[in-house]
Amino acid sequence: MSDHPVRLVLRDDLRRSRLTVFFRLLLAIPHFFWLFLWTIGVVFAAIAGWLAALVTRRLPDGIHSFLAAYVRYVTHLGAYLSLAANPYPSFNAQPYPLDVELPRPALQARWKIAVRLLLAVPTLLLAATLGSGFGFGGYSGAGGDGGSGAQWATSTGVGGVALVCAFFGWFAALALGRMPVGLRNLSAYGLGYTAQAYAYALLLTDRYPNADPDAIGPVWELPGHPVRLELADDGRRSRLTVFFRLLLSMPHFVWLALWSVAAFLAAIANGLVALIRGRSANSLHRFLAAYVRYYAHVTAFVALVANPFPGFTGEPGYPVDIVVDAPERQNRWITLFRVFLAIPAFVISGALSAALFVVALLGWFAALVTGRMPTGLRNLGAYCVRYLAQTNAYWFVVTEAYPHASPALRPPPEPEPELEPEPGIDAVDEPEAN
Amino acid sequence: MRAVALLALAGIWGAAAWSLWQSVVPGDLTLPDVRLNGIPPETLDLADRYERFFRIEFVAAQLVLLGVLVAYAKYGIRFAKESAAGRIGTGMLLGMIGLALVWLSQVPFRLAEVWWDRRYDQTDSGYVETLFANWFELGAEFLFVCFALLIVMALAGRFPRRWWLGAAPVFVGLAFLFGFIYPYLTPTDRLDRADLQAAGREYAAEQGIDPIPLRVEDVTDFTSAPNAYAVGFGPSKRVVFWNTLLDGSFGDDEVKTVLAHELGHHSSNHLFEGVAWYALFALPGAWLIALATRRRGGMANPAAVPLSLLVIVVLDLLSLPVYNVISRHMEQEADWKALESTHEPEPAKSLFREFTIQSLNDPDPPTWSYVLFDSHPSVEKRIAMAEAWRQRRAK
Repeated sequence: MSDHPVRLVLRDDLRRSRLTVFFRLLLAIPHFFWLFLWTIGVVFAAIAGWLAALVTRRLPDGIHSFLAAYVRYVTHLGAYLSLAANPYPSFNAQPYPLDVELPRPALQARWKIAVRLLLAVPTLLLAATLGSGFGFGGYSGAGGDGGSGAQWATSTGVGGVALVCAFFGWFAALALGRMPVGLRNLSAYGLGYTAQAYAYALLLTDRYPNADPDAIGPVWELPGHPVRLELADDGRRSRLTVFFRLLLSMPHFVWLALWSVAAFLAAIANGLVALIRGRSANSLHRFLAAYVRYYAHVTAFVALVANPFPGFTGEPGYPVDIVVDAPERQNRWITLFRVFLAIPAFVISGALSAALFVVALLGWFAALVTGRMPTGLRNLGAYCVRYLAQTNAYWFVVTEAYPHASPALRPPPEPEPELEPEPGIDAVDEPEAN
Repeated sequence: MRAVALLALAGIWGAAAWSLWQSVVPGDLTLPDVRLNGIPPETLDLADRYERFFRIEFVAAQLVLLGVLVAYAKYGIRFAKESAAGRIGTGMLLGMIGLALVWLSQVPFRLAEVWWDRRYDQTDSGYVETLFANWFELGAEFLFVCFALLIVMALAGRFPRRWWLGAAPVFVGLAFLFGFIYPYLTPTDRLDRADLQAAGREYAAEQGIDPIPLRVEDVTDFTSAPNAYAVGFGPSKRVVFWNTLLDGSFGDDEVKTVLAHELGHHSSNHLFEGVAWYALFALPGAWLIALATRRRGGMANPAAVPLSLLVIVVLDLLSLPVYNVISRHMEQEADWKALESTHEPEPAKSLFREFTIQSLNDPDPPTWSYVLFDSHPSVEKRIAMAEAWRQRRAK
């Protein structure tokens, strides 16, 4: 769990009201107006708070409370719109099923306060790809450069991952009356990171946001999957190979393009075999599994999620590796409609690819300076690689298990087995919970 | 027996070289002393100063390059730990890192060249543009290095001592292939000048070849210097003019001289001969690389790759004067064919003078510089050849 002072609190039960889901955007209209007005207030409060903090090294209590409420409100509204939570949010940031806890005002280094806007640029960039984009104008306003209203209007289209989750979640929630747990968790993660970014930009904390999926929110649920991530990277990076990473990847791009053509043809054959026999042919499965691994290795290398130059054959053993189980029986209906069923996974993969691009961009600068990839960025990148690999495996009929969007790197650890009561000690019956 | 085989090979090599060296330029041609009339003395001074910088810069750049590659040959194997790619993949990585280090080591010199060119109004390129505009080409070089190492290391894995016998023909084939497809990779437009198209057909007939497409390349983004070149084999044959040559700074007769010169390259099969010369040097070159890397386990071993880069650069430097002699020989032949086609020595002379004035080519460079750097005859020699042609015709 994270020790970050901005903590995501999730008490959502996944149930959704179909009626409010259907009309969610329209129902949120009053909140848009309120957010607009609040954002204008935040612009002035942020400027005043910044000036005061430059002198006293901490935000005045009143301004801190005002800005903290704003960050929470933006998170609530983002959760409501992205269907990560169900109830209609309050206008004054009352407790909400998807909430953030913010720290009390504390002393901060003056130089960090002075250049906060500059320092916040990378994290806001990443937040824009992960979150819903709501409240982005609040950040702009906090910078004192004005025009927050107009920027807010355009910023609603900025957010990638949470908006994609909202789009597909809308259909799922209408059909099932529940939000799929993977999409909800991914949205919640994005909103949690966005809240950290805003809190940092608005001087509510001086702790830099941590993108590590393992460090935001609860322990994310991740069911077992035949395509899994294995992470053995030590975070160390060679500055020279980081500097020339794109150029060094050129032969892999060429080889991957050639292999992709062959994999596409093999996937068609694999699909036909799976339709007839109800399972993949072993040879095709091996070939496509190697392709899925190789794709993951190259993606990890290019995005700086891993350090060594990968091999060209998709052999297991790379520090960011994908384990693919042996072929299993596959439902013929799922195989037949695979092309259509894969569309949501592809769209989510697209949004995560954008996040991976930002990870690579930020990681490039960080690794050049420090010789290490920040763990948070590395883990976020590894999560993206895992999801992309699961999507590839699904699309190429390697498995019928749908990619799981939950932002976890690996399934949570098994609970410790309960100890047998020692002889001589009477077991005490606990009352049943109602 | 081995000595006999070596002698036989040397004989074949010599016969092939002699055959390629044949030229239509009369063997008894003596170049008269000419005065560089029409070039203001201050321009000659300017050209001398301009080119002197590049000579010094070239020497410094090569010293730095060699220093970097010597260090890389010694310590480069350390980068093998950055690879999880097996024998050939690791070799590729080491090759690319070597190229990256070479690129980095040459950045200050490239910037200095731009600075100097800007001082003398030879380019409008900016410094940032210089650094970042050619990343596509750099990427292509990275790919080429990988491809070359793939071939060499795969062959060396199978034939540790004789790989060079197989690799050299492959690289010659690749050079030929590249020469063939290059015209399709460079964006050019059809030359929209009826007079030049007509002249092109006339000169081609005179030189005994079919008409060759004339194209224009827009180079204004990176240089203001005038130029043209012949390129391609068979159906991909082209004569390409830089648009800087057609902007009105040169007279029509001068441009026609350039056209006849480039057609001279095609009619003399210089592009094919260039590949043939490459073939003659590729085999001994590959053998020398194999010999030099033997102590590092041969080219099958990634540890030999950094050393092989050093050997290639050293061989390249050593062969530079030889390459320039061959190139000047071909240029001389193309100049002669141009004179035989246009029958006009005066536009040729004024063209070469104009090269000095516009491009600040030193018309009479020091001998060492001429031998080492110049792939074309000096302006003075080219004017002298035009004069020699005129005198011969007058007899």
